[in-house]
Amino acid sequence: MSIIKIENLKKTYDSNGIAVNALRGINLKIENGEFSAIAGPSGSGKTTLLNIIGGLDKPTSGTISLSGEIINDYNPTKLSDLRLNKIGFIFQAYNLIPVLNAIENVEYVLLLQGIGSSERTKRASNILKEVGLEKEMNRKPAKLSGGQQQRVAVARAIVSEPEIVLADEPTANLDQDTGSALLDLMHELNKKKGITFLFSTHDVMVMDRSERLVYLRDGIIAEDKTK
Amino acid sequence: MQERITTTLAWRNVWRNKRRTVLTLLTILTGCTMIILLNAFAKGGHDQMIEDAVAVNAGHIQIHEKGFWENRTIDYAFKDETDIEEILNDLNIKSYSKRILSAGLLSHKGNTAGAVIQGVDPEKEITVTNINTKILPGGRYLKESDLDQILLGETLAKNIDAETGSKISMISQGFDGSIAARQFEVVGLFRTGNSEYDNTLLIMPFKQAAEVFTMMGFINSIVIRADEISSINTINQNLKELLSIKSDSDFEIMGWDELMPELVQFIVMDDISAYIFDFILFMVVAFGVLNTIQMSVFERTRETGIMLSIGTRPSQIVKMIMFESVIIAVIGIALGLLIGYSLSYYFQINPLDYSDYTKEMEVWGVSTTRWPAEATLLNISVTALITFILSFVFTIFPAKRASKLNPIEAIRQL
Ligand SMILES: Nc1ncnc2c1ncn2[C@@H]1O[C@H](COP(=O)(O)OP(=O)(O)O)[C@@H](O)[C@H]1O
Ligand SMILES: [Mg+2]
Repeated sequence: MSIIKIENLKKTYDSNGIAVNALRGINLKIENGEFSAIAGPSGSGKTTLLNIIGGLDKPTSGTISLSGEIINDYNPTKLSDLRLNKIGFIFQAYNLIPVLNAIENVEYVLLLQGIGSSERTKRASNILKEVGLEKEMNRKPAKLSGGQQQRVAVARAIVSEPEIVLADEPTANLDQDTGSALLDLMHELNKKKGITFLFSTHDVMVMDRSERLVYLRDGIIAEDKTK
Repeated sequence: MQERITTTLAWRNVWRNKRRTVLTLLTILTGCTMIILLNAFAKGGHDQMIEDAVAVNAGHIQIHEKGFWENRTIDYAFKDETDIEEILNDLNIKSYSKRILSAGLLSHKGNTAGAVIQGVDPEKEITVTNINTKILPGGRYLKESDLDQILLGETLAKNIDAETGSKISMISQGFDGSIAARQFEVVGLFRTGNSEYDNTLLIMPFKQAAEVFTMMGFINSIVIRADEISSINTINQNLKELLSIKSDSDFEIMGWDELMPELVQFIVMDDISAYIFDFILFMVVAFGVLNTIQMSVFERTRETGIMLSIGTRPSQIVKMIMFESVIIAVIGIALGLLIGYSLSYYFQINPLDYSDYTKEMEVWGVSTTRWPAEATLLNISVTALITFILSFVFTIFPAKRASKLNPIEAIRQL
């Protein structure tokens, strides 16, 4: 069964009375273990699509199902739980809660899930080791570099063992090398642990690294190629 | 467990912008301190005013025959029974003084003036009032042996052109309806600062009054001094019960507040203006808290969006923000209570002294020169409670609004 199944998905925004068709009929399936990128120019609908997949936004029409369950009609509480338990989010930048240090940021999700203290600490520190932040665990976000902050965000996204990690232009605020290293990390996690990644990008480097490239243009899929 | 992260987040968020938090704490602290102090001075000042006012003449409680206060004539008299004295001796009071009360016409050097006449036992009277301290230089207070010797209010004496040493005549009616006429020697003039007394009062020895007005063992009033104002209601209640059991007469038992309604009115007006100030101060505090929470929530729009995105429930956001407000409120209130109470206590021990302004104050019929503060438990707890409730209530709106943020829009704001 596909992790994500999208059928004829449309999203129309109302921008001061003018209808903006951000997504104009998307059909897409994401399978378990994929390492895929949604590419396309700015304004093509990448963020809109990821937000709908992540249960942050509702489609205007069409269906979206996660592991076979249609989430269109979920109420806010159910969506909140869905995001907590089944989806990992990585945003472009400033992902972290500033008053919590690295390990606390990672533990936060586990706390929301109601996981006990010792298991929480164990899992969070293990994940932080995996993303190479063994020494930075007790640092607040402000004391971490942009790349380190994104690594903590990756750690937080995967610590709850979600079904899919959604990353909206995760390297856009990083320099080439740091972005490349972050992508290496995610790819490694994908290979080693089988975590499904779906990110959006308009960065050629990221497109090159992805195993499948879904190319969006003006709210429709212009090209979908698996390498 | 989730509660703990909520409190941890709240605590750290509170200290994130230390300057703003300290300013908010100062607002709450200053507000509470001022409110407590304001009300403590109102309470202390009023109690002092009452004490001073009752000490001039009225006492804390007066017992009359029913109808006396409305008519103020000598006809409303009751038998001076030992039963009543027994009751009074058993009550928890400081002292009492019996009085004969009448009115009469005074004349001196061809001038006449109406006077209110009080017959008092010189020794007993000054356990209830302090009239002996109000005698002007050149005169003296009454002695036990005095008979035809009397005291006059300063203005009353002036009106009939009398002074210490003058012989004046009085004409009035006795209890039995007979004419009561007598010559008296003025041995002292008093200035109480209360124009009602200074303009109209004549004080004579009880023995003489009993004879002049042919009282035949009757009296018009018993004036009681309590140990403290707070016990008056109890005394009043007990008196009513005991007197109705022991005596056949129909009594009216009046507290200082019924005896001096103008004073009550003054205090009520003063309280109202204090409440208005309280209200303003409370609002300053409440809007201070509202402003801080709004600013801090606004600054955290993006991270709140992130928290909501990764599965934080809106109710947890509300709890966190409410908790932030509670932390600030509790610290601010605690400090405010501490400082407010300490200052009140200081001014209870060291009352303000405005004897330099006594002249000005006398115009208002106020002879108090000491202004102590008194912070009551009620004042302190109500101040704390209202401040807490206000900061809580004023946080609900920004907290709810933050929890209803659209995460997508919140996150878009980099
Ligand atoms: N909240 C919104 N209101 C109105 N228009 C929006 C809103 N969000 C996105 N859009 C529009 O939808 C289109 C797709 O936007 P987006 O999904 O952000 O594209 P991308 O992430 O590929 O840059 C754009 O034309 C954008 O202006
Ligand atoms: Mg985008």
